[in-house]
Amino acid sequence: MGNTSRWLDVEVGADDTNLNTLPSNVVTVDLQNDNEFKLLIGDLGRGDEPSKLKVYKGAIQTADMVLPDVPLGVVGFYSSDTVPPPFPNIAVGFSSCVYIYRNMKLFYKYYLPTLELNTVEMDIWKQLIDTKNHELKIISSLTDNLKSMPYQYLSSQSQRFLSLNPDQQLEYLQQSPKPLVHKLAEVTCLATLRMNSVERFAVSCLIVGTEDGDVIVLDPQTFTQLHQAKLENNKVPFQMVTTGLYQVDYRIVVATREKSVCLLKREWKEGRILFNTDEHIIAIEVMTADNSVMVICTDNTMTCYSRKGKKQWSIQLEHRPVSMTSLGVMHLGAVLTGVALASGHLQLYHGKARQDTVFIRDVASVVKFGQLGQEEHVLMIVTASGNLMLKILNRTADFNSPAAGAEAARGAGRPWLIPNKSKLFLEQAKRERDSAIQMHEKFQGELARLRLTAAKALLDAYSKSDNNIGKGALEPIRLSAEVEGLGPVFRVTLTVQNTAADRAVVGLAILFHVHNAAYKVHNPYIKIPLLSPSSSLHFPTKVEEIFEGDFHPDVLFRSVSGQGGARSLVKILLLKDGNRSPALAATLQMPPTDPLMLPQPITDDTHNFALVADLYERYKILLLKAGGRSPALAATLQMPPTDPLMLPQPITDDTRNFA
Amino acid sequence: MGLLEKLSLWLGGGAREVSVVVLGLDNSGKSSLLRALHPPPRTPAAEEPPPPPTVGTRQDHFTAGGVSFSAVEVGGGRRHRALWERHYRAADALIYVVDAADPLRLVVSRSELQLVLAAGGARRVPLLVLANKSDRPDALHHLQVAQALSLEQVQGVPWHICAASAASGAGLAEGVAWLARELRTTHASRKGQH
Ligand SMILES: Nc1nc2c(ncn2[C@@H]2O[C@H](COP(=O)(O)OP(=O)(O)O)[C@@H](O)[C@H]2O)c(=O)[nH]1
Ligand SMILES: [Mg+2]
Repeated sequence: MGNTSRWLDVEVGADDTNLNTLPSNVVTVDLQNDNEFKLLIGDLGRGDEPSKLKVYKGAIQTADMVLPDVPLGVVGFYSSDTVPPPFPNIAVGFSSCVYIYRNMKLFYKYYLPTLELNTVEMDIWKQLIDTKNHELKIISSLTDNLKSMPYQYLSSQSQRFLSLNPDQQLEYLQQSPKPLVHKLAEVTCLATLRMNSVERFAVSCLIVGTEDGDVIVLDPQTFTQLHQAKLENNKVPFQMVTTGLYQVDYRIVVATREKSVCLLKREWKEGRILFNTDEHIIAIEVMTADNSVMVICTDNTMTCYSRKGKKQWSIQLEHRPVSMTSLGVMHLGAVLTGVALASGHLQLYHGKARQDTVFIRDVASVVKFGQLGQEEHVLMIVTASGNLMLKILNRTADFNSPAAGAEAARGAGRPWLIPNKSKLFLEQAKRERDSAIQMHEKFQGELARLRLTAAKALLDAYSKSDNNIGKGALEPIRLSAEVEGLGPVFRVTLTVQNTAADRAVVGLAILFHVHNAAYKVHNPYIKIPLLSPSSSLHFPTKVEEIFEGDFHPDVLFRSVSGQGGARSLVKILLLKDGNRSPALAATLQMPPTDPLMLPQPITDDTHNFALVADLYERYKILLLKAGGRSPALAATLQMPPTDPLMLPQPITDDTRNFA
Repeated sequence: MGLLEKLSLWLGGGAREVSVVVLGLDNSGKSSLLRALHPPPRTPAAEEPPPPPTVGTRQDHFTAGGVSFSAVEVGGGRRHRALWERHYRAADALIYVVDAADPLRLVVSRSELQLVLAAGGARRVPLLVLANKSDRPDALHHLQVAQALSLEQVQGVPWHICAASAASGAGLAEGVAWLARELRTTHASRKGQH
C-alpha cells in the first residue's frame, strides 16, 4: 500500500468551524456510554466570541455550552463504579476553580484551597489602601517593595497591580479595593489518574496542577483532597501525564514552565526533577511500555528520556514542533509518536525512525489520536486557522516499510553494551590460568578425535557416493536403477542411457557385485548391445535375498519401509571392453524383505503352534515350530475395537436393574 | 412472509441455491436487517432486543418457494473484515449495509467496499447498498451515502442503493425487488449460454 492510503480523509463539510484551542483542552469521551466517543473541545473563543465547550460527533458539532471563563484544561472521567456505569464527568479548569459537568450540566464547583499571604505583601497592601498614601511618589516606592519580592509568590492582585502604569495604579487604589487577606491559587492544568483498575469504566481521581507548583489529587466522588505535593523549587506545571493506579503505584510526569520535567510517585510529598532541558518544553508524552518520556522543545528537538531521566536520544526536527500525540496501534503492535510541525507537516516516528509524513496543508495547533465515534484509530487535528480535520488509519496500513523520506534509526552516539564480568566468567578465567596444560592437551585430544570422525564420514560418503555419472570419454553414459517387489525376490531394472547427441557406444557390460551371503543375482553379468545416441536400454534382473535356515528373529521386526542396512548394498559396475577399471560404478541400497514374504515351509503339525501376541496396538502373530529357535512365520494383525454394545456385562435376573 | 421468501417467488422457484452475502462495518445493522428480511417465526420483531454484535460469521440457511438461500453475515469488526473477500467470492449477490447515521465511518466503509470489490475480480455479482438507519433524524440521504462511497466509480458490477431501516422495514422491499430482478436476468443469461 502506498504512502497516501495509510490515512483515509474524513470529509468535513462545514467551513464555519472556527476553533481556537490548545492541546490541553481537547479530549475524547464516551459521553453516553454507547461506545460512540465524542470529541470535546474547550474553545478559548475569539474576539467577542465567548469561551465554549463544544461537542463533536465525528466532524459534526452537536452541542455547545458557554463557559464562565477561559478553559485551562478539559478531562473526562468516571466517578463511581455502579452498574450500569454512570455517564462520565467532564472537568473544566478555570482560574482558581474546576467545574465538574455531568450530562452537560454543571454538577459541582471545586475551589482550590486559599493560601496564606506573605506578611510583607499584606503589610504593603495595608499601606497602599490607606488613603493618606495615595500619592504617586509613595505608591511608586511601595510598588518597588512589591517588585523586590519574587513575582511568582505574589498574589494575583499584586501581580495585576504591578502590570498597571502609575496613573492606573492610583485610579485603582482610589476605588478603595478590599484589603488583601489571602491569595487564591490558580489552576494551570488538569489530569486524571485511575483509582484501582484499568477497565474502561474504572473510576479515576482528578488531578489539578496549580500556579504555585502544587499537584493536588482529588477524591473521585467527594472532590476532597486525597493527596497534595509540591514540585521541587515551586516549578509551575503545565502538562501532567499519569501512569499506574492511585491505590497501587503510580507516576505523574509533569512538564513545567521552567525547562524541567518533574516526577511524582505514590506517597511522595515533593515532585522531584526528573531531568532538565536546554530550552522551553512544548509538550511531553509518556510511552506506556517503558515509561520513557518524549519531549519536544522550542529548540526544534525531540528527545527521549528513560524512566529514570537519562537522555536516550535526541533528534533535530526540521521545523518548530507545535503539538505531540502518541499513536498506539494495537494490531500493528507499535506505539508511534506524532509531531505536528509549524511547516504544516505531521511526522510519525517509531522511536526515532520516521515512519510517515502527513501533509496537513495548514499549521496544526492540536493533534490527538484515539477513538472517535466507533472508529478506534482516528487522528484529530485542529488547525491554527480553526478547522477540524479527521484522518482514519486505514486497516491495511503498515508502518513496517518506511515511507519515502524516512531514515532508519542510527546507532551513532550510543555506547556499546558490554556486560559486566560475571562470577562464571571469573571462575573460568581462574581455571584457565591454573590448569592451562591439561586443558591444552584435552583440547588437542578432542580435536584429533573430531578430525578422525570427519575423515571416517568422508570415507563413508566416498564409498557410497553417487558416482553413477561417467567421467572422461564415457561422460554421456548414465546408469540408474529401480527396485520393485516386496522380497525376497526383487526385480531390479537397470537403465543405461546414452545422452550424447552424436556418438554411439559399444562394448559395454554390467557386472553385479554383491555380498555373497546376502543376495543372489540371477543374471550377474549382462552384455549391453550397441547404445545408439540419445537412447536408453532397460535391463531387468532378479535379485533374491538369501536367508539361512536359522535366521535371526530380528529380521521379522525390521521396518518394511526403511533400508536394509549395510549388508543390503549391491554394487553395480559398468565395464567397457579393453578397460581395466570399471567405467562407472553405482551402489544400490536394497529394501528389506517384507517379513510376511519370508520363504518358510508351513508344516501341518498344528500342535506345535502357539499364538504370541505382543502388546503393541497391533498384534504380531508368530508361527512357532517346536524345537525351532526362531518363528516359522509371522503376521501382523490390526485389531478393530470391540463394539461397546458387545462388551461382556454380567446379566442379572433382577429386572429392576435394567434401564 | 419475509421478503426473502418473496424474492424466491420472484426468482421463479426451482431448486436453486442463491447465496447472498451481507457485509458492512460493525454496528451498521446487518443482523437487524437479516432479521427484518427473514423474521424468525417465534416473536414479533418489535419486541426483540437488538441482536448481540456478531463475532466471526453467522450463517442463515433457509428455503423459501423452492429456492434455498444462504445468507452469510460476516462480522464487521476490524479483524473480521479480512474474511469478507472469501465470502464475497462465493456469493451470488452482495448486500452492503452502511450506517447512514455514522458519517465519520463512511470513508472506512468506502475503503472496505472497494477492497472487497477489487478482490472479486471480474465477477459481475449484483451489489445492493442499503443506507440503513434512515429512520434516525441524523441519517444522511441515500444519495449522499452513494457519493461518499464513490459508487459512481464502481464499474462492471450492477449496483443499486436505497435508503432502508431495519427498525421500520422501510426501503427493504425496493432493495430486494431490485436484487430479484438482477438475479433473474443473470440467471436467465447464464441459462441462455448453456
Ligand atoms: N434506529 C435504527 N437502529 C438500527 C437500525 N438497524 C440497526 N440498528 C441498531 O444498530 C445496532 C447494531 O445492529 P446490528 O444488527 O447488531 O449490526 P451489525 O453489527 O451490523 O450486525 C443495534 O443496536 C440496532 O438496534 C435501524 O434501521 N434504525
Ligand atoms: Mg451482527
